[in-house]
Amino acid sequence: MNEILLAEFENPNKLLKAAEKLSDCGYSSYDVYSPFPIHGMDDAMKLKHSKLGWIVLCGCSLGLLLGFLMQTFMSLDYPLIISGKPFFSYPAFIPVTFEIMVLFSAFSTVFGMFALNKLPQHYNPIFKSDYFRKATCHGFFLGIDSNENGYDREKLRNLLSEIDAKHIEVIEDDV
Amino acid sequence: MKQKQLVGNDIEISDKFSSIIRKLFIVGGIFSAISFIIFFSDSHVSHYFYFSYLTTYMFFLTLTLGAIFIVLLQHITCAGWSVVVRRVPEVLMKNIPLMFILFIPIVFGMHDLYHWTHLDAVAEDHLLQVKRPWLNQFFFFIRIVFYFFIWSWISKNFFKRSILQDETGDHQITLDMERSSSYSMILFALTITFAAIDLVMSLTPHWYSTIFGVYIFSGSVLIAYCFTSLLYMYLRKKNYLKDIVTVEHYHDLGKLIYGFNIFWSYIAFCQFFLIWYASVPEETEFYLKHFEGSWTYVTILLCVGHFGIPFIFFISRWLKRNLKYHACMVIWICFMHFVDLYWIIIPTVAPNGIDIHFVDITLFVGIACLYLGVFFKNLNKVCLIPKKDPRLSESLNFINY
Repeated sequence: MNEILLAEFENPNKLLKAAEKLSDCGYSSYDVYSPFPIHGMDDAMKLKHSKLGWIVLCGCSLGLLLGFLMQTFMSLDYPLIISGKPFFSYPAFIPVTFEIMVLFSAFSTVFGMFALNKLPQHYNPIFKSDYFRKATCHGFFLGIDSNENGYDREKLRNLLSEIDAKHIEVIEDDV
Repeated sequence: MKQKQLVGNDIEISDKFSSIIRKLFIVGGIFSAISFIIFFSDSHVSHYFYFSYLTTYMFFLTLTLGAIFIVLLQHITCAGWSVVVRRVPEVLMKNIPLMFILFIPIVFGMHDLYHWTHLDAVAEDHLLQVKRPWLNQFFFFIRIVFYFFIWSWISKNFFKRSILQDETGDHQITLDMERSSSYSMILFALTITFAAIDLVMSLTPHWYSTIFGVYIFSGSVLIAYCFTSLLYMYLRKKNYLKDIVTVEHYHDLGKLIYGFNIFWSYIAFCQFFLIWYASVPEETEFYLKHFEGSWTYVTILLCVGHFGIPFIFFISRWLKRNLKYHACMVIWICFMHFVDLYWIIIPTVAPNGIDIHFVDITLFVGIACLYLGVFFKNLNKVCLIPKKDPRLSESLNFINY
């Protein structure tokens, strides 16, 4: 049976210190929850740089290519003489190509972010905690999954209370 | 988190750059002398000389004007991060009087440079007749003096107050500068637009482009940010400001360079696109000249080198933070800005194709050395950072997340 150890901290600074401490002790698959982004948290959790940029690069290249090819195909397949220009006048394609590139980049950013964050998530055992509702306005939480290497409930409990956790809760996942 | 404080005395006024100043003035003097010898010895070159001079002149004028813009922008947005990188643009914009002196050769070359000064040609040309109220020598000189008056007024105003704050540390000065930056910005926008029209666009007096002022402006801000970044790297190499101007500041300068590079491309494309689409003979004349002979290759070089290469190879965060790479890219963009001006100005005199002359190089090196000599001479007299700015601590502790 899986379980999650949820600890609440008083303020973002304490949460940052806690994340640093856990990283230093070698834990890696824990997560922190706060109502707003905390500067320096990436470094404290020793997170790698996000891969989102590369996803957006793929999306934008695809949009660029698709936009340009679409217009080329259209103007050659259904030729119209527009102000005496040749059918394949690529300068005229650039604004639309650019717009489609932006559209595809935006889509790949949003949906890439969803995919990387494993959203939408309809069930997560952490939702069982009443305390956790505070995470959307004034609560700062740290959750450690029992899948973590070297998970030991009592040891972690001690560690967390050492680093000034306000409240510690064990959430059991019976699914 | 530990707050960084201002320590050490490497920012203080001292005679740091006297050896480099001497070298710059010597080299500048030699190369300027060579250029003038070429000018007087070869009557064939003297016509071309003025166009080459104008190209180099515009390169440094745009740099100085861009520096004014950077300073105004930082005050108008009340920017905190940029306090430690404000002194170099401030000293760069102090070169406006030098640019006014360097304008004198253009006065002598008016007849060679500007077709509309030939009154006999104007008399037969209806279009130029119509434009005569604006394009006549008397009004031209009045305007030039007026532009330089405005620019030197703005630069003096902001430089003086910033230096005053170094001594007194009065916070009111910052507020005053923020207030006056608003109308200074408007004056700056108008003067740079009309100066671009007068100095560069009137080389081809039949042609007009309503976006031309913005085109020159975008290039000037780009080059000013590039030089700011480069000069701080030079200071860093000389072991000044090592802990003060950090990678974070270079990263942000890199972002601005990248942004303004795209802005330049956007404006350049807009200008071309509308003229190409509308196909009005008066307007297309300019671009036809640039698709002739070897100018086609310069046009392609501009598209690829000014837009494509920086767009792809300067996009990454890691590359902007790698200072050696950053410096290479910035030098490349500076070179491209010169090519851009060369591409605008030289086809008027060499319509058949590129014709790089020895005088192009000597003039550029000569004026560049004089310009930097005056720059370092002014930098010698001031602190390397605005040490009593109220936002200094914010700038010292600035980090990109």
